[in-house]
Amino acid sequence: MLKTLLYINEDLASSIALRFTDYLSRFVNLSLFIAHVEEPDENEQVGTGWVRRTWEDGVASSGKRLVDRMLRTENINCSLAGRPKVFVGEMEKEMILELRNGFYQLFIKGYLDSANPEPFYDLISSSLCVETSCPMLVVKNLSLSKKCALLCADSVDPRVLVEQSMKVVGESSFEIDIVYFKFQESSQVQILDRREGGNNLGETESLLAAAGKTVVNTTVLTGAPEQVSDYLKEYALVVSTMPKRKSIHIHVLAHSLASVLLVRDTAQK
Amino acid sequence: MKILVALDGKFYSRGIVKEVARLSESTLADVVFLGVQDSETEVSQSQQMVLHECQQDLYSYFRPDELPYADFSLEKWQKIASGDWKVSATGMKEFTLRIRSGSVAKAVVDVAGEMECDLVVLGCDLKHGCDWDGDMNVPLRIAEDAPCSVLVIKQSGNTREIVSILDQSEVHQEAIEMVNQLVTLHSADLTIVGVQEKNEDKKDQMEQRMVELLKYYNDRAVSAWAKVINSAMVTDYVTESSQNAIIALWMGGKQSLLKRLFSHSMVDKLLNTSKSSVFILR
Repeated sequence: MLKTLLYINEDLASSIALRFTDYLSRFVNLSLFIAHVEEPDENEQVGTGWVRRTWEDGVASSGKRLVDRMLRTENINCSLAGRPKVFVGEMEKEMILELRNGFYQLFIKGYLDSANPEPFYDLISSSLCVETSCPMLVVKNLSLSKKCALLCADSVDPRVLVEQSMKVVGESSFEIDIVYFKFQESSQVQILDRREGGNNLGETESLLAAAGKTVVNTTVLTGAPEQVSDYLKEYALVVSTMPKRKSIHIHVLAHSLASVLLVRDTAQK
Repeated sequence: MKILVALDGKFYSRGIVKEVARLSESTLADVVFLGVQDSETEVSQSQQMVLHECQQDLYSYFRPDELPYADFSLEKWQKIASGDWKVSATGMKEFTLRIRSGSVAKAVVDVAGEMECDLVVLGCDLKHGCDWDGDMNVPLRIAEDAPCSVLVIKQSGNTREIVSILDQSEVHQEAIEMVNQLVTLHSADLTIVGVQEKNEDKKDQMEQRMVELLKYYNDRAVSAWAKVINSAMVTDYVTESSQNAIIALWMGGKQSLLKRLFSHSMVDKLLNTSKSSVFILR
């Protein structure tokens, strides 16, 4: 079972994330934990010692009620592996600590898809993303598909993509496709010959075969990131290596309506 | 549900009957076909003919054993007021043909209010953007002034995406269901776009609306994509999306951000530049 931490708040992104996680659990065997962080205003923070502890207990209780409300409203079928965890403090800091101490294998967070890609860049460069070593699933939408795409490109290390993604979807019942993306400024997405994918594509296929996975479809696409992102709508999730900087690759992920699973080379961490 | 369909004898009116038939079939709606003429004293034979032919077209989309409307003869036209005639047939649902005198936009808006319609449907000529018999103001005035939702059908080709744009305003069940029906009829993808304001309370309300909509559509196995945009981007986003998708704009009450953003000129621009149908939801 994949030890998974899902962060929730009382908002639309979390509502979608909860339902997507529930959907995901039909394909991936999850041991699901839920966490929430109450972030009080600086002005609200009071005292020291028992005064502070009493205040923190009050804030945590309000966080627990929030989590209960969310779970009741969303009414998910996936059972939880433990009681929801409520922290008081800064969200990123608390989540990084929990992920590190809890040895989670997957972190899930909702993200409200936006026409403006900047918030996605901010998320990718946030300390939460940078300092988390386990794969991170950014849930953007509830896409009820049985397919999962591995997003490959010239800039992607096939070994990291396959090895790390298999830790999450390797045992799943998702159909696996490879989408190889080549950037080109054009008005339409074009599907190219498979040979246009080059060495990286061949290596990705070989590594997947070695991992015992059958690739259902391999598609080499060219076009602008927005159009390629639109093509990715048919997938429940798109798996990508963590982009290191602002690039065309990150642009594709930012515009993807499908949820994005970001994996990284744990050997470098 | 009651659908009012504004019709004249032009090709753009005839072209919408199929879509109206599909919509009335899936919603099991009462239907009113409305024609408008100049004369106040005598009902025009040509208007009667147009409405009757369109009614026959609509009936022909149903299998005889599934037709929810009764047949009626043209002899039963009744004058209900000066410059106002109608004939109805009641089967499982009611089908009404109505002819009014006066200006098209005013007649449509008045009848929609008087008959408590949920939806007004009309076609338009794409030659100069979106006009009705050469008059650019008719679709715009109906879209702006009707007391209910308005669907302006610009093409009967199959659109694969419906972009539903909302703010924090309350959304009505009938309008939600109409979007659901359009999605089903077109086998289209649905994208729900929330327009964000800086005001945190309104932002929360908008997100709450989106949660409700997503739940509603997901429960009906409709895949709906969620997206947010800020208010500064809305007009560009709508203009761009309208090139390929049916735009469904939720126009709320006085507090509605979209109502403020989509001034008279913006709705006019949307109707004129959109290549697909435009749905104004109230």
